[in-house]
Amino acid sequence: MLYALMGLGLSLITGVLNIPNFAHGALFAIGAYFLVTVVGFLGNFWLGLLIAPIGVALLGLLIEFAGIRRLYAAGHDYQLLFTFGLALILNELIIVIWGPVGISHLPPTILRGGVDLGFTFYPKYRLFVMAMAGLLVVATWLFLEKTRYGAIMRAGIENKEMVSLLGIDIHKLFTVAFALGAYLAGIAGALTAPIRGLSPGMGIDMLGIAFVVVALGGLGNLLGAIAAGLIIGIAQAVVAAYWTEASTAVIFAVMAAVLLVRPQGLFGIR
Amino acid sequence: MRALILILAAICVLPLVVRPAIASEIWIFAIFGLGLNLLLGYTGLLSFGQSTFFGSAAYAAGYLLKHYAIGIPLALGVGVGIGALSALLVGYLCVQRSGLYLIMLTFALNQLFYFVAYQWTSVTGGEDGMPGIPRPALLGVDLRDPQHYYVLVSALFLIALWLMKRIVESPLGKILQAIRENEVRADAVGYNAPRFKLAAFVIGGAFSGAAGVLYAMLFGIVPLEAIGFVVSGNVVFATLIGGSGSLYGPIIGSFVFIWLSESMSVMWARWPLLLGVAFIIVVLFFRGGVVEAWSRIWRFSKRTT
Repeated sequence: MLYALMGLGLSLITGVLNIPNFAHGALFAIGAYFLVTVVGFLGNFWLGLLIAPIGVALLGLLIEFAGIRRLYAAGHDYQLLFTFGLALILNELIIVIWGPVGISHLPPTILRGGVDLGFTFYPKYRLFVMAMAGLLVVATWLFLEKTRYGAIMRAGIENKEMVSLLGIDIHKLFTVAFALGAYLAGIAGALTAPIRGLSPGMGIDMLGIAFVVVALGGLGNLLGAIAAGLIIGIAQAVVAAYWTEASTAVIFAVMAAVLLVRPQGLFGIR
Repeated sequence: MRALILILAAICVLPLVVRPAIASEIWIFAIFGLGLNLLLGYTGLLSFGQSTFFGSAAYAAGYLLKHYAIGIPLALGVGVGIGALSALLVGYLCVQRSGLYLIMLTFALNQLFYFVAYQWTSVTGGEDGMPGIPRPALLGVDLRDPQHYYVLVSALFLIALWLMKRIVESPLGKILQAIRENEVRADAVGYNAPRFKLAAFVIGGAFSGAAGVLYAMLFGIVPLEAIGFVVSGNVVFATLIGGSGSLYGPIIGSFVFIWLSESMSVMWARWPLLLGVAFIIVVLFFRGGVVEAWSRIWRFSKRTT
């Protein structure tokens, strides 16, 4: 479910802005570190979960406004270099500010322990994450599908010239899309923190997975990203149960296998 | 001709200015950049997974050098072969797509190779890298002397440059440029564009493989980072900063990049941060690379006088 969240945000950014966002993993990591810091100051997990992703969204706003905005005409190679440079900076900043050693973070007291599901014993916090991520995916989907601004955003994926000809400020749309994508990455990171702990490398690992999800789902295909995220998550969990070492590699193997059969991705049209 | 004289002069002068190891690294990185530039500059394919070929070749040749004591010609052959083979695999999956997809796919497959190297500790050494790679003698010359090794590297670089010049000026090179300019038209006049793109991947991979082997022998170790995405990004940066439009761009880029990273890494342990800042400054203010930046400064100084 977290993969779906990451893929959804990245698909939104790549689809609307038409840029390769290599900083998406770094935004994910920053979300997790923000959470730990906010919880450290306020002592309340729920406030942290509320504030941290908003912080990441604001960071995304700044990045789009100060940098990416100047690069829409520049070609993918320079956009790539920009977001890659950004990823390096954010990653090193994490090491400078929070240190190179991994941090573990406990879930809030009510969500510790597990529940007996009859056939298996499952940690409460993981159930919460699943529910929360599912809720967010549905909320994002409803926003894009049912609201006026969501419709504009989908139109922006389809045809940018047409949208701006209709008198809609396309640059504002880009900024909002980037901030929303950053928000989703941030909250995915914040939710991950109590499960896997924090380490500076977490963003890079997630970035590769997010790209796989987007490539499988089809660029700008938001429903496809959600489905692909679920498939990848399940595939990884199943393999991890039998052969732990290969559980990360299997994600990429699944992608390679799918692309052999369907080069346009599972749900891609182009 | 003038370019060749300049390069020969640079080869002679460089070891007098910097340590031989750094001088060797510059030419190795230039070979790596030449390989990428065939894809990026000549075919218009932005591959963000060049370290897949670089790292795989370094590991394969390093393993054979270490455990089976093979000679340098065979090690290079293995490196070129593995580089080309891994590029064939990656290219086969990627050439159907272009633009953003291609970037994401090459990156994702790069991550696949990275995780395999990370987990396969019995061969690659995982996070610790693969240390203890020897530098065997060639034709009775002891290459453990850094200066001797520098001679070998720069000779191989010249061969690589000559080969690449032949390739881009050959009919194949022209077809690749035609695909870059207009893929639909190249397809329409009867060239099978995906197959030619795949050829570009394989050739580029072979160059990257050769660079990977030389790199492994230079430092005596294959670090895990050699197959990581940062190396892929660095070579893209070096090629773009030198100017991807010309044959010599990656060479200039390699100079600038190695010099930049060497001088930064002694300044601060967190130097990738500075490197990231350098990336962003180049992207925002010096698009078009060193050559363009130079001409802009030139124009500016003419205006002021």
